[in-house]
Parts: sequence; C-alpha cells; structure tokens
Amino acid sequence: MKPMIQTKTWMILFAALLALLIAAALLVSHRGTGKIANVYQDGVCIRSIDLSAVTEAYSFTVTDGKGHENLIEVAPGQIRVAEANCPDHVCVHTGWISDGLRPIVCLPARLSIQLEDTAQSETEGLDAVIG
Amino acid sequence: MKVKRLIRMALCTAIALTIFMIEARIPALAPIPGMKLGLANIVTVWALFTLGPVDAAMILISRILLGSLFSGSMMSLLYSLSGGVLCFLLSLLLRRLVTEKQIWVVSILGAMAHNVGQLLAATAVMESWTVWYYAPVLMISGTLTGAFTGTAAQVLYLRLKKLRAIGREKP
Repeated sequence: MKPMIQTKTWMILFAALLALLIAAALLVSHRGTGKIANVYQDGVCIRSIDLSAVTEAYSFTVTDGKGHENLIEVAPGQIRVAEANCPDHVCVHTGWISDGLRPIVCLPARLSIQLEDTAQSETEGLDAVIG
Repeated sequence: MKVKRLIRMALCTAIALTIFMIEARIPALAPIPGMKLGLANIVTVWALFTLGPVDAAMILISRILLGSLFSGSMMSLLYSLSGGVLCFLLSLLLRRLVTEKQIWVVSILGAMAHNVGQLLAATAVMESWTVWYYAPVLMISGTLTGAFTGTAAQVLYLRLKKLRAIGREKP
C-alpha cells in the first residue's frame, strides 16, 4: 500500500510542531510579574491577596461544597497549596509560586491561583480594581 | 460469533483497565494538570485498526467509565471522556489516511486531540482560560508519549496480524 502522506513528511511536520510548541512554552513562561494572588473557584475570584503586603505567614482553607478541601498557605511574597484531598495532588506538588509565570491549578476542586497585577476580589481589604 | 466478539471486547477492556490502573499509580514527573503517559491508548489504537471503530469505541468508553469509577474520582471522568472522545474522533478520520506502518502518526495527533479535549473540559468546568497556560507543555509531552504508545500499538498490530490469531471475522 502506498502511503498518501510519506512518513518523512509526517516526521518533518511533527518536528516543526514540536519546535513551535517549545517556542510557545517559552513565550508563556515570560509573562506576568503580578504580586497579587487571585484565588479562583469555578471561575469566580473568591479571594485576592497582595503578597507584597504579607508580613507573617498564615493559611486558610477553601471548600467547594462537594467534599474538596484545599489548605492554602500564604507567606511573604509567595503562596502555595499546602494540603488538599484531591486524588492527584498536582496543586500541592506545584509548590510555592511567587511570580506570574505559572498558576496553581487543582482540576478536581476547580480551583486556581494566579498571580496578577490587579485584585479581582474585594476580600482581604484590597482596593479592588473594577472595570 | 457474537459471543466471541463480546469476549474479545471484554478482554481488551480488562487489559486497558489494568494498564490504566497501574499507570495511575506512577507518580507524575512534573506537576502539570492532565499530564500522563496514556499507555491505555495502546489498546484503543490497536483495537481501532484491528477490530474496527465500533468495537474500539465500546472498549474506550467502558475503560473510561470503569477507570474513573475504580480510581474514585468522578471529576476526572469529565476530563477523560472529553479528551478520549476527541482523540477517538480524530483517530477515526486519520485511520484511512495512514498505512499500517504509520499508526504512530494517529497516536501522536490523537494525544494532542486528547489534550485539547481535556483543556476544553477544564475551561468549561473552571470557567477560566487559566489552564491553557499548560497547553504547550502538555502538548509537547503528548507528542512524545503519543509517539511512544503509537509505536507500541503499531508493533503490536503488525505482530498480532502475522499470527492471525485475533481479528475481525470475514463475513
């Protein structure tokens, strides 16, 4: 059977695609310098914390009403999920984040923490930027 | 004939499920949501080329449903299902396009479709595009693991075909 697309063509295609993806991965890792941690649950920002204003470490728990619990630990300049009862623990393994490079994502609990330039929630006594 | 087909599908589901459960025990290399080896896809790809689309689809759906049930997280069912269905549909389209020595191509593109499906589901569930930050890394790993599982499926396909032990009965 004669191939409709040569194997060599596929290989070149995948190599090009891989190069493109690596470029994209490098590109997205170079954005964001935000210092305000926005905690999102189901797409809604439930808490905003200005990490540069934190002087003493503390922690709080986020529950989703479906049995998921994430213990979030805040320290000066950084934030992490310290404990979680989700099955994969990806959020815990992500560890501390201190820049806008990558978010903490917990898929089972539909929770994400992202460092941004503006606060998305009024909790924590921040001046929320609206509009 | 009908019983034989049923047993064959049940056997494939059991094999896929075993691989799936063992893989779930392997700790993740990097803390990236949704990243995995996808070894169970070897069974799906092989089934698609040997047993045909209907049988392969049934094996895939059974494996995903039972896998989520056994691993005890119903939330992951949504991600697995949307990824699995998208991957399967693309593989179905590509099936006619490749020769039996290019089965790995189907697996790579299938893995990428799986990633896109997962990310779409996560976007819908979390109502946020945050997860797409992981898209490039996820798809790089998808390309590599897809190439690996695809090659495995291709070798399996060619060798089992030589044995003529399993396959679709002639009508």
